Amino acid sequence: MKFDVIIIGGGLAGMTAATALQEAGLRCAVVAEGLSLHNAPRRGFSAAGGTLLAGDRVVSGRFDGDRLVAVRTERLGDVELEAVNFVLATGKYFSRGLVADMDRVYEPLFGLDVEYDEDRSKWFDPSFAAPQKFLEFGVKSSDGRAVKDGAVIANLYPAGEVLAGVSSSQGDATEAIIESALAAVKAIRRN
Amino acid sequence: MQETNISAKNFEQCQKCSLCETVCPVMANNPKYAGPKRSGPDGERYRLKNGIFFEDSLKYCLNCKRCEVACPSGVRIADLIQQARIDYGRKAPKLRDVMLASTDQVGPLASAFAPLANFGLGLSPVKGLMDLTIGVDKHRTLPKYASETFVHWFKKNAEAAQEAFGKQISYFHGCYANYNYPQLGKDFVAVMNAFGIGVQLMPEERCCGVAKIANGMISAAVRDAKINIGAFEKSVREGRDVVTVSTTCTLTVLEEYPELLKVDNSTVRDHVSLVEQYLYKGIASGALKPVWKEGYKARAAYHCPCHQERLGWGIFTTELLKMIPGLELVELESNCCGIAGTYGFKKENYKVSQAIGKPLFDNIAAVAPDFVACECETCKWQIEMSTGVPVKNPVSILAEALDLEKTAAANLRED
Repeated sequence: MKFDVIIIGGGLAGMTAATALQEAGLRCAVVAEGLSLHNAPRRGFSAAGGTLLAGDRVVSGRFDGDRLVAVRTERLGDVELEAVNFVLATGKYFSRGLVADMDRVYEPLFGLDVEYDEDRSKWFDPSFAAPQKFLEFGVKSSDGRAVKDGAVIANLYPAGEVLAGVSSSQGDATEAIIESALAAVKAIRRN
Repeated sequence: MQETNISAKNFEQCQKCSLCETVCPVMANNPKYAGPKRSGPDGERYRLKNGIFFEDSLKYCLNCKRCEVACPSGVRIADLIQQARIDYGRKAPKLRDVMLASTDQVGPLASAFAPLANFGLGLSPVKGLMDLTIGVDKHRTLPKYASETFVHWFKKNAEAAQEAFGKQISYFHGCYANYNYPQLGKDFVAVMNAFGIGVQLMPEERCCGVAKIANGMISAAVRDAKINIGAFEKSVREGRDVVTVSTTCTLTVLEEYPELLKVDNSTVRDHVSLVEQYLYKGIASGALKPVWKEGYKARAAYHCPCHQERLGWGIFTTELLKMIPGLELVELESNCCGIAGTYGFKKENYKVSQAIGKPLFDNIAAVAPDFVACECETCKWQIEMSTGVPVKNPVSILAEALDLEKTAAANLRED
């Protein structure tokens, strides 16, 4: 199946980007494992004609050079979802957009480059109320695009909390999440 | 899911976020039901300690599986609830539940006396009596039985012609197409044949068992499941994949057999498709060539059945229907219709069942389509009874929208 944009993740960032892109006339599909924001955003996106794959999750991606060409999902099996552009809005640890091992933090879906402190003792502050550094970790981006093994992926735009520096621990978290989603929308529309 | 997690049905992954509670159609309408989180992963912790913590209120679960679709952590919440009912439920099923669940024992009998059965089941004194004696709600329109079963029709009118086709599949028709609505089976055969595909039946086919699972008749369900898997294996060995029309039968075979009944389906699961998925893949790959009727025009509203949501295959239906020129397709908001198989027929559930369905009924009324497109047979009963809008299976829509003769010519074997 072919789309203009596939949005991986149906939270605040994913649905914001998806609805804006769909309303701009691009054919969008959202793959949302779990419905973290199910009612209003879902209705708006569906009303605009978007395709929502609820309860499904992306399991792998097919790359061609510096581009992500297609993804596969758990439920659709061998039917690939192809798109021109992709938005990665998988969030942080709770939604497994990031995974923390004892010695490293990684992005489990595509193995994207992640910004984190190699010194584990600096990941967290034992004081519960203090700002926690691990919440600042996230995937690297270059000109709004994701980076894998040092090379930019030309059509994969991380948005929301999966990004380094965007964190729900900040006072203006919602704003940062929406801003990053709208930045991805702008970049995709420009291309 | 992390590999180290070994808890049954992933219940230790529950993070208590309560999203499942926000999508549970029963919880919103029946205060006696504690909801998916408490009945599922929370209750499981207690039940593992001691079975006395099993609560009878788990019977209010519809098994719609919307909680599983909503769960961000992959917990098989509805499966946990059904498993607990199987493992700890002590009450023997009532006569009514046995009757509602025994689709392939009651079916042949009712079909044989169809005019009488349909007439009787439509009379208000009979309905009143059933309401009082066995607890089938009198407000409900009961499903009609066909006087000629699909299998009987097929043997008489279609079987001989199937050998001529190069490609063959096995059709798991299910109880509904056989006893209640043979037209669905006939439409299926017409569409498949037009695409140059021969249809074979599996003489061993039994009821998938979903109604037996829901009504606590587990040993009977396991027996049927084993017979079905044996029939599927035989078909796959002989080179025929199995194609189904019922979303619930399909979910039961693919998910409930291994999860709840402990009947292994690994030898066949990659060879079972729902018809919409089968046709979408065939048409998208260019292997099947549809020729559409000129001048076909309709406005349809698509209702995705809960079990189709769980399978994640609704997109095959919508993409397939969008191919039909002249069909305007409106996708309805995702809501449960409230019937849930035999659930809504029970007197104690009738009010809740209709309350659950109300948002969907209102949505359909607002869209005012010519018909509702939906893969599920029990949704069809519920929606037709509650809204008066006809419901068509996508296969029947295809049978109407395809130019069957020209499609047959376009799909002729080249050898």
